[in-house]
Amino acid sequence: MVKIDLLVNGKKHSLEVEEDMRLIDLLREKLGLTGVKEGCSEGECGACTVIMDGEVVNSCLVMAFQAHESNIITIEGLDGEGSLHPLQQAFIDAGAVQCGYCTPGMILSAKALLDKNPNPTEEEIREGISGNLCRCTGYNKIVEAINRAKGV
Amino acid sequence: MRLDVVGKNILRVDALSKVTGKALYPEDIYMENMLYGKTLRSKVPHAYIRVDTSKAERIDGVIKIFTHKDVPKNEYGVVLKDHEVFCSQKVRRIGDPIAFVVAKDLKTCHLALENIRVEYEEIEGVFDPIEAMKDDAPKVHGDSNIIYHFKIRKGDIKEGFKNSHVIVENTYKTHMVDHAFLQPESGVSFIDEEGRITVIVATQYPHYDREEIASALNMPEESVRVINANVGGAFGGREDISLQIHLALATKELNRPVKTVYSREESFIAHAKRHPMIMKYKTGADRDGKLLALEAEIIGDSGAYASWAMNVLRKSGVHASGPYEIPNVKVDSIAVYTNNPFTGAMRGFGATQVPIAYEQQMDILAEKLGLDPISIRLKNMFRKGSVTATGQVLTESVPLQECLERVVERMDFPRREEAY
Ligand code: FES
Ligand code: FES
Repeated sequence: MVKIDLLVNGKKHSLEVEEDMRLIDLLREKLGLTGVKEGCSEGECGACTVIMDGEVVNSCLVMAFQAHESNIITIEGLDGEGSLHPLQQAFIDAGAVQCGYCTPGMILSAKALLDKNPNPTEEEIREGISGNLCRCTGYNKIVEAINRAKGV
Repeated sequence: MRLDVVGKNILRVDALSKVTGKALYPEDIYMENMLYGKTLRSKVPHAYIRVDTSKAERIDGVIKIFTHKDVPKNEYGVVLKDHEVFCSQKVRRIGDPIAFVVAKDLKTCHLALENIRVEYEEIEGVFDPIEAMKDDAPKVHGDSNIIYHFKIRKGDIKEGFKNSHVIVENTYKTHMVDHAFLQPESGVSFIDEEGRITVIVATQYPHYDREEIASALNMPEESVRVINANVGGAFGGREDISLQIHLALATKELNRPVKTVYSREESFIAHAKRHPMIMKYKTGADRDGKLLALEAEIIGDSGAYASWAMNVLRKSGVHASGPYEIPNVKVDSIAVYTNNPFTGAMRGFGATQVPIAYEQQMDILAEKLGLDPISIRLKNMFRKGSVTATGQVLTESVPLQECLERVVERMDFPRREEAY
């Protein structure tokens, strides 16, 4: 067991975790943040994307102990009191959500992109979500949603 | 007529829950007192098996290991009941389910899987559907590997080919495809407040699942409940049973909630694929490019189980002549068992493979006749009043010509005459 302290969606947590626990298990199993999805467990699909200290990471490839003293944002930490994040609203409005399994990871990758580059070109948007697979939408509406959200 | 939905952009009812991460897929459900289940699957494609679970059963935390002996009626399948819930004597493909371990946590499940002994007495397999059709091929089920043979006979192809100015003959092959829906299979089973065996699963067919669970467990359908959670993509790949019966059986016996989540690897080997097809085509046309005859043989590799083979190969057969009117047609489409991964429904359901053949034939015919690919299609395509190869008269709207003309216009498709 290892003791770790971390900030998740603005809340402090001190936890004991097993050495072989992954960050995704910590978030889903210990903290109940099931908006973090698991599609491949090997860094291919991006469904498990979370933001760690401002950078997108695949939480299936990060060990829980590596998150010690880090600041994590999951999809659950995006909407404020009763209001959606502009990206969440844009995903709804643009029809960028189908089965929804890629959606949390997509939105977080988009957020990390917009946080660094508030006015990305279409190419930069596509580059920004290139680590996230979507099997349903064909990506166009996702790109459109991010484009809509960038000004807001 | 007032249209509330058609032609309008309507917001999805489930979009809000999905953008906030609140939408629950089966693996997101945690219940009190919940156990975990993992499937042991065959590592070889064709073998007689002997299974010994005794060592694994003694592992601390293992609650029970289910095998064929525990299943009241050990069969299921969407059309033919050719799947076993757990293989009893022989495995027919890599990935065939042999046992289901239920334990207090996932780590214990994995440990137990490693400690189940399976003795494989391998037998010769068959992996090429053409070989599989031969009399002396190893048999996957029963005494023939041919599952289904669909025929179309229209007019007289001999006459049609005799009158043809050009005849094009080719064989086309398509490969197996996985749906790769983003959410691997998962499910949770429990006993609901009315005592019903309940399975929460991401499925395309909750009503079929219920029927199959009730039949395998030998229970009335009213005692089984299937709840469709959010489904993380499917594309046909969730039409067959995967973990539904395993979970229901475990909960029925153990009286506790059980959860199973497939890894991506297990998902790949567990569910059906798109049928690879071998399509032998002979197409004849007159000097002006008017189609006169088509002879097609389509062989679909169904793998180890039939799943929707008949429906898929029927659809391939019906679509074999494409959207073209041909007076003389002979089509044979055949579904065949092999020891490959089993194939079933996937987007298009048999209509996806055949255009590779019939459209390529059109291009080659056009080239031989010195026509451009658009004109030969315009000359032969279905219009209102056309009669299809199966004898259907198309009486409703058939806006194909309009569609092609608009595509040509927007793509600025160079007519051959202009290009050369
Ligand atoms: S589950 Fe982590 S990248 Fe696919
Ligand atoms: S909406 Fe289904 S994977 Fe993207």
